[in-house]
Amino acid sequence: MSSNTPETTPVQNLTRQQLLDLERKKKTKAQLWLDMLIYLLPFVGGIIAVLEYTQVPDNSLNRNPWAYLAFLYILIGAYAVYCVVSLVFLKRGNRDVIDKQRYRAPLFTALFLLLAVYDYMTLKTGILTQPFVPCLNFVINAFWKDRAIIGESTLATLRLLFLGYFAGVALGLVTGITCGYSERCRYWVDPIIKFLGPIPTSTWIPIMMVVASSLFGGAVFIIGLGSWFAVTVASMTGISNVDKDYFEAARTLGASSRQLVFRVAIPHAMPSIFQGCTQAMSSSCTAIMIAEMLGVKSGLGWYMNWSKSWAAYDSMFAALFVICIIFTVVTKTLEAIKRRVLRWQIGVNA
Amino acid sequence: MEKTILKLDNVSKSFAKIETDEVTHALSSVTTTMESGEFISMVGPSGCGKSTILRLVAGLIQPTTGELTLNGKPITGPGPDRGMMFQKATLFPWLTVYDNIAFSLKMQGKLKGNEEKVEEMIKTIGLEDFRTDYPGQLSGGMAQRVALVRSLINEPPVLLLDEPLGALDAFTRMNMQDEILRIWQKKQQLAIMVTHDVDEAIYMGTRVLVMDAHPGRIIADLKIDQPYPRDRSSKEFVEYRNDILNKLHFAGANAAK
Repeated sequence: MSSNTPETTPVQNLTRQQLLDLERKKKTKAQLWLDMLIYLLPFVGGIIAVLEYTQVPDNSLNRNPWAYLAFLYILIGAYAVYCVVSLVFLKRGNRDVIDKQRYRAPLFTALFLLLAVYDYMTLKTGILTQPFVPCLNFVINAFWKDRAIIGESTLATLRLLFLGYFAGVALGLVTGITCGYSERCRYWVDPIIKFLGPIPTSTWIPIMMVVASSLFGGAVFIIGLGSWFAVTVASMTGISNVDKDYFEAARTLGASSRQLVFRVAIPHAMPSIFQGCTQAMSSSCTAIMIAEMLGVKSGLGWYMNWSKSWAAYDSMFAALFVICIIFTVVTKTLEAIKRRVLRWQIGVNA
Repeated sequence: MEKTILKLDNVSKSFAKIETDEVTHALSSVTTTMESGEFISMVGPSGCGKSTILRLVAGLIQPTTGELTLNGKPITGPGPDRGMMFQKATLFPWLTVYDNIAFSLKMQGKLKGNEEKVEEMIKTIGLEDFRTDYPGQLSGGMAQRVALVRSLINEPPVLLLDEPLGALDAFTRMNMQDEILRIWQKKQQLAIMVTHDVDEAIYMGTRVLVMDAHPGRIIADLKIDQPYPRDRSSKEFVEYRNDILNKLHFAGANAAK
């Protein structure tokens, strides 16, 4: 009697990986081939992008053509490294990494094709008019040429962002937690929030430009105000929604009223507080760009505007990509911290 | 452990209703004495004030009139000398099993040097493999077990059980009954349990307080004179059950109307 498992391991001794392998639906040969094909598809996409760039004749003048090519090769190289990493994991018996890569492969392919289409529409044909919508080679070159000032602007933006954000979040936590806990505090703060809350952050910018002695300070205030508002509301709701049962249990276990706040109310409100922090971050990102474009004389927003006034559209796009990357990284970091702190939530609401 | 004496002297508790003008008289002039070594089951229909007594003893609420004293001292608020277990496990979902059990020690700054006590509690309930799990990953029975030892870690002279097994399935429930009894027999503290299950009350208690509603009051105070573990189908057990059901006006088939 041969079963289809080569060595019969007693069920109790199965590792997680073996169990997953056992329960996985057996794939047919055709499906395996298809998987392999999809897995390698990004390379095809990469080659198409490279061929499109090198073989199709340019419609307009192209300077330093190697920059974009190098960029494409770096992307293809990165995917190759990814392949190697997941193959190493597979060799060690971990299928998750390669499965995830297989899952993402179509998106990577699409990215390469998108690059090719974009290049075709800009540099090769001019369907999107040069230089207003510059081809990527121009953008990369502009980025490289202006790297010092872009770096400086990035730092300025980050400084302003974090200063305003953290000041707002810190104050928001204090007011939110106090108000969530104390009825009297809520009595006085609630009307302020109700009155100020609906005003969009950007409304404050013209006022700030008139009133504030330093534009930087004004911008910090505006960003801080937005974050303060979001975090206050979120932590207030979080704290006042704490199940009364938890307080009773904690009290019978000998918790003091101070401990009720710090050991029960705040941890319980953490998911809601984090939601407020995420919301505050997105409102901060909006506010900082508006502030930099309207008043503050530094930062990526200012750089974009400044480039526009010099008709340096390629630099403008370069800054746009940097902004996109920064905000993505910041949001992802926040998300990672949240997942770490709230890991107890896994399975709670499932 | 020295003897603990809990006295309820003419205790009444009324609640003002929020929506209407009415007042609910949850408890009316209850006088009784309980002491360590006793396992007291309180049984009765809903609204009879059995949970109210427990919450008064815990110090979560204050009596309208009358006085509760523990060893002669009036009860003014909750304290770690009275452990309480609720119908819901109320484990803190953001703490691991270990940290939940250690919560009380930590709140009193006594965790340092008492870590083996926590370990011992985990061993008592056989959840060694779940030490670092979060409550969200536990089954109902496991969670109640953790809640039980969490309230026991201080070795409180009074253990209050507010329908602790009400939400469990029948088999887990019977297991837990024995588990609670085992712990209580070892430590001989004063245990007070609220239940709406007459069988459970008789199976576990050394004394059963039968209560009735409108207003909430004790209508009978029965001593259960049976050795543990008790046989649920013995003649005496059935007699106790019929007696209690009669007192609660749920006359069974063998009671003449």
